[in-house]
Amino acid sequence: MAEKNEFTDINGKAILLDCQNYSSFCREFTVSSPKVSLCKVIVCTCSVWLFAYAVFFVTENTAVLSSAIIITLVGMMMHIHLVKVEHETLLIIGSLGVQLSTSYASGRESTTFIEMSRIKDIVINEAVYMQSIIYYLCILIKDSGDPNGIASVVPLFQSSKPRLNCLVQVYKSCQAIIAQTR
Amino acid sequence: MVLKIFFPTCCNTADSGLLIGRWIPGQDSAVVLAVIHYPFIPGQVKKYLSETQNQSQVDLAVLGSWSLPKDGQEGMDSFLKDLSTIFPNSRWLQLSREIGKRGFACQVVHNRITPPDPAQGGTDKKDQIIFIHYDQRKVMLSQLHPIHEESPGEESSELRAVFHTVAQSGPLFLLDRYDEGPLKLTHWQSEGREASIVVELSKQASVPLCIVLTWLVLLSFQLFLYVVCCRILNIWPVQFISSKMSTCVQTAYRTNHFQTVFSTKKATSHMEFMRKANIFVSFLVDMSLGLLLVSWLYRENHISQLANTLVPVADHVAKELQELLEWLMGAPAGLKMNRALDQVLGRFFLYHIHLWISYIRLMSPFIEMILWYVGLSACLGLTFALSVLSDIVALLTFHIYCFYVYGARLYCLKVYGLSSLWRLFCGKKWNVLRQRVDSCSYDLDQLFIGTLLFTILLFLLPTTALYYLVFTLLRLVVVMFQGVIHLAIDLINSFPLFAMGLRLCRSYRLAEGVKFRVLCEEPGTPLHLMMEINPLKCSSVLQRYRTPTYSCYPRDSWVDLCKKLFMGELIYPWKHKTTKTD
Amino acid sequence: MGQKKRSGRVHPPTCPSETQPPAAARTLDPPNSSKARGFGREERARHRICMVSDFFYPNMGGVESHIYQLSQCLIEKGHKVVIATHAYGNRRGIRYLTNGLKVYYLPLQVMYNQSTTTTCIHSLPLLRCVFVRERVTVVHAHSSFSAMAHDALFHAKTMGLNTVFTDHSLFGFADLSSVLTNKLLTVSLCDTNHIVCVSYTSKENTVLRAALNPDIVSVIPNAVDPTDFTPDPSRRDNSKITIVVVSRLVYRKGIDLLGGIIPELCTKHHDLYFLIGGEGPKRIVLEEVREKYQLHDRVRLLGALDHKDVRDVLVQGHIFLNTSLTEAFCMAIVEGASCGLQVVSTRVGGIPEVLPDELVTLCEPTVSSLCAGLETVIARQRSGKVPPPADIHSKVRTLYTWRNVAERTEKVYDLACRQPVLPLPARLQRLQSHCGAFAGFIFSFLAVIDFLFLFFLQWLHPDHLIDVAVDASGPHSCWGPSFKKKAKDSNRAWPPGADTRHC
Repeated sequence: MAEKNEFTDINGKAILLDCQNYSSFCREFTVSSPKVSLCKVIVCTCSVWLFAYAVFFVTENTAVLSSAIIITLVGMMMHIHLVKVEHETLLIIGSLGVQLSTSYASGRESTTFIEMSRIKDIVINEAVYMQSIIYYLCILIKDSGDPNGIASVVPLFQSSKPRLNCLVQVYKSCQAIIAQTR
Repeated sequence: MVLKIFFPTCCNTADSGLLIGRWIPGQDSAVVLAVIHYPFIPGQVKKYLSETQNQSQVDLAVLGSWSLPKDGQEGMDSFLKDLSTIFPNSRWLQLSREIGKRGFACQVVHNRITPPDPAQGGTDKKDQIIFIHYDQRKVMLSQLHPIHEESPGEESSELRAVFHTVAQSGPLFLLDRYDEGPLKLTHWQSEGREASIVVELSKQASVPLCIVLTWLVLLSFQLFLYVVCCRILNIWPVQFISSKMSTCVQTAYRTNHFQTVFSTKKATSHMEFMRKANIFVSFLVDMSLGLLLVSWLYRENHISQLANTLVPVADHVAKELQELLEWLMGAPAGLKMNRALDQVLGRFFLYHIHLWISYIRLMSPFIEMILWYVGLSACLGLTFALSVLSDIVALLTFHIYCFYVYGARLYCLKVYGLSSLWRLFCGKKWNVLRQRVDSCSYDLDQLFIGTLLFTILLFLLPTTALYYLVFTLLRLVVVMFQGVIHLAIDLINSFPLFAMGLRLCRSYRLAEGVKFRVLCEEPGTPLHLMMEINPLKCSSVLQRYRTPTYSCYPRDSWVDLCKKLFMGELIYPWKHKTTKTD
Repeated sequence: MGQKKRSGRVHPPTCPSETQPPAAARTLDPPNSSKARGFGREERARHRICMVSDFFYPNMGGVESHIYQLSQCLIEKGHKVVIATHAYGNRRGIRYLTNGLKVYYLPLQVMYNQSTTTTCIHSLPLLRCVFVRERVTVVHAHSSFSAMAHDALFHAKTMGLNTVFTDHSLFGFADLSSVLTNKLLTVSLCDTNHIVCVSYTSKENTVLRAALNPDIVSVIPNAVDPTDFTPDPSRRDNSKITIVVVSRLVYRKGIDLLGGIIPELCTKHHDLYFLIGGEGPKRIVLEEVREKYQLHDRVRLLGALDHKDVRDVLVQGHIFLNTSLTEAFCMAIVEGASCGLQVVSTRVGGIPEVLPDELVTLCEPTVSSLCAGLETVIARQRSGKVPPPADIHSKVRTLYTWRNVAERTEKVYDLACRQPVLPLPARLQRLQSHCGAFAGFIFSFLAVIDFLFLFFLQWLHPDHLIDVAVDASGPHSCWGPSFKKKAKDSNRAWPPGADTRHC
């Protein structure tokens, strides 16, 4: 019961939306970004090393070379551990809650679960992002004091940033599940 | 509606029996806590349940039946159905597991004995069921964040209710610890019973030991506290000075903590317990670090080496200051100053330095002895040693502080004079009653005198400002050094070591929430989810369990600080002026 | 089509649809507007308008309410309207107001007096994004004080969109700041398709300042909502005479004059009371006057007023006093007259055009002249020879209505849309021939840079990657009646996903 669709993110890069249908009220959406391209890594590493070699050629100090190697290694590790997101998952279980998880290229995974009783709605909203205006999917969290108020907004698919057509598809199935189990 | 059944993983392979648990009020969910095996007498089960309910304050009920057919036990089905009439409930769950399959089958029987709730009207509609498996031990021990201590009874959150139910039903798990009762149960304790007995015994034994220790410590401590706090500290000048000395502040802080840790009251809430544990662990770490320092200091005559370097350094600083003043009295950086004022100020400060140097000379024979005794304070902890160091630095740079105060006062006077004379220039005045600037018409004489004064002040300002600037910079260097020491002290004082260790070794104890994993999807069986505990992030552990300390760094923002410096107001530590009247 | 939509909608400017052309703008807007009208009858073009100005709600003032009311009326007529302004403190991002009026609060740095900094370049990415995703056809900039409006005009021309500019203020020619602003205005307006002024004085001023061809300048006055400003004589205390002043307490509004008038009149008339609403740096002047002459019981300073409270203040008075030193079109005196007050005003700028002579007493902007004017009105009031408030209200009611303004603005849009947008070479030529050698050169250079920057942006983030926004107003609006309730309770996070379902 899984279907895969190709979409693009706001920068025109291809992303993959994978809908896994576990049951009528439990569905999982996975947006996966393209993997770390070997080519890019090689180009980055080579450029840093070439630069280091040039500096070494001028200064004749071997510390430059070793520090360049350490910098590239640490930089790459930081990148795959903290920055590069492999896929983002939205698991929606009717009447129980919504679980968001982000897995990084290093395998690190951060997960949050939001109970259905705290969720007011799931909507598509607009925001100014960097130098453009984008659509994004977000969960509105109820304000415990005031039943109509919104305490906070949790944006979904924050790092892959799919375009509107992809968001609409996720939005529709989420709304269907919420409407069915509420 | 979707029916949620929270099922402990340890009961997966339990023998057939009755399911004991709780219906979460307001939610459509049930928490299974244990399985009672055959054979049992229904009356005994009811009695047992009511007993446990009294102890744990959780309204337990028989939820339904559990069957795991083994060979030779085939004809139980009809019997299980009949059970529902013995234990009246609006809903009766019939869980059954087949050997070959991983999933369970579940059937919900709606009893017509009690009228069904109007909320669950459509009984004929097929109920959808989610099985949520949880690790009973971890859920019982974990603490869900953020913590709401005040209202455990009426949780709006379902998960909170589940955690609360499992944590509260401890008596259910403890009752059959030593002897075999009339009922046989399966829950997490049934897996590792021996180990838990050892834990219990050691707990029992440790209590009297702790009490004896506590009494000993407390008695000696209370006496000391009484003398120190009530008698000496409350006399005015002592109190004032001690509030400025970081050693005294640290002592007060530590005694305060001592009282909390060794109080005989049991920590009731989670936060209180964590606070005590954190303080205790950080205290231990502090002490051991301090002892390390002591062992280093008193080996190989390090003390006398220190003393031999300290005196020349202080001397050197004074010399440098003298040179700086002489430079300022000439034409510093090519600036042409007001000669008369420059000379007066320079001589004044030079005299101070002379006083200071003679003071240091007088002190120098005793410095080693002082250091030897002061070094002993490191036995009380590294923080003590550091605060003593901070105080020594403050004492040794007292002349810089004096210079700063003189410079700031002069400068402040000039700035205020200039600003009020500027208003006179514009035909305005400060209205003290209304706290605003009013327009005002001045006489010719007033204007003349005002202008004259304004001119004089304006031309003398650069000289004063230069002295102020130089001494402020010196003062800031000292304050920064002290600030670094205080930051280190604060770090040791407030770092939640125990919580951090708990997070690293028993990550399920501090839960931020839960995460779910879809277990298996066989067509025809209900959805199975695995509930795992999502540990609290390290950063939020730090934030939540940080021990509050006296904050020794300035509380006002950088902009405020700059403004104060510009206006010539005194910064740390002499800042008691709160309202500014112009 | 547009008129049909009016049914069942609550709308701020509820005025009779049949309106007489006001006194101030009796003549036609542009010379060939009759053609536009004919065109409009058969098949009226629907525009997608982006209003750009630094000044919008939560800031309060004439420009802000003009933009809001005009947008509401244009939405009612079936056009799509969005508003772009800069972020006000916490109010940033995208918000929706009544009837699906979408407002972009863009994060641009505010420099002075709520006006953004301008480099003519840095706001291009955001404004381009707004223009592309809303598929804007007409960019309508407001107020010559607003740097963002000028920027938007500049970028819109670079992107090949039609542009309209409304000038709300008068300027001098003498001091340095006005010389600079006038130069900027010249550059900004020389290739704008159409310009709108609020009064004939303002038109004259703008034409002179920006060295424009008067043919492309139309006059459309401001309007007030007469239903909000109804007289209520029972609220007055007829045992005394109350003079009401409602304005921001700044130099431009002549507060120093007011400070001179108050003691002079108060010594002469012992039953004279002043009621002053508004806040500003000149408040201290009034407070000092009050203390010096001990007039605490007779001069009341109300402080800042909400727009909804203005009417309650106005109806308490007999005479409305306006002491402005410069004014393009004075809305305050129309509001005062609409509440049935006798209006005394300075004769500056476009004020003489606003009200017919029998409703207003005009004076020179000096203390003595204003005092004389007030004396005559007070004498008239004492003798009871003033028309009843209801009469004054009925006269004023039909003078200025937002529907009328919207209709005329619509014609301006029709006209502007049929004009070509100058391509880059022609634009450069126009700039250099029109703005003098130095400024012309600088701004041609900026225009080229802007153009290249646009190219760069189109390469970096092509137009087809920008999601087209869901229309909240206009012909393809998804703002159905069922939706309105939901949107009303929170204009913070409107769920636009919900109406993608309808599409």
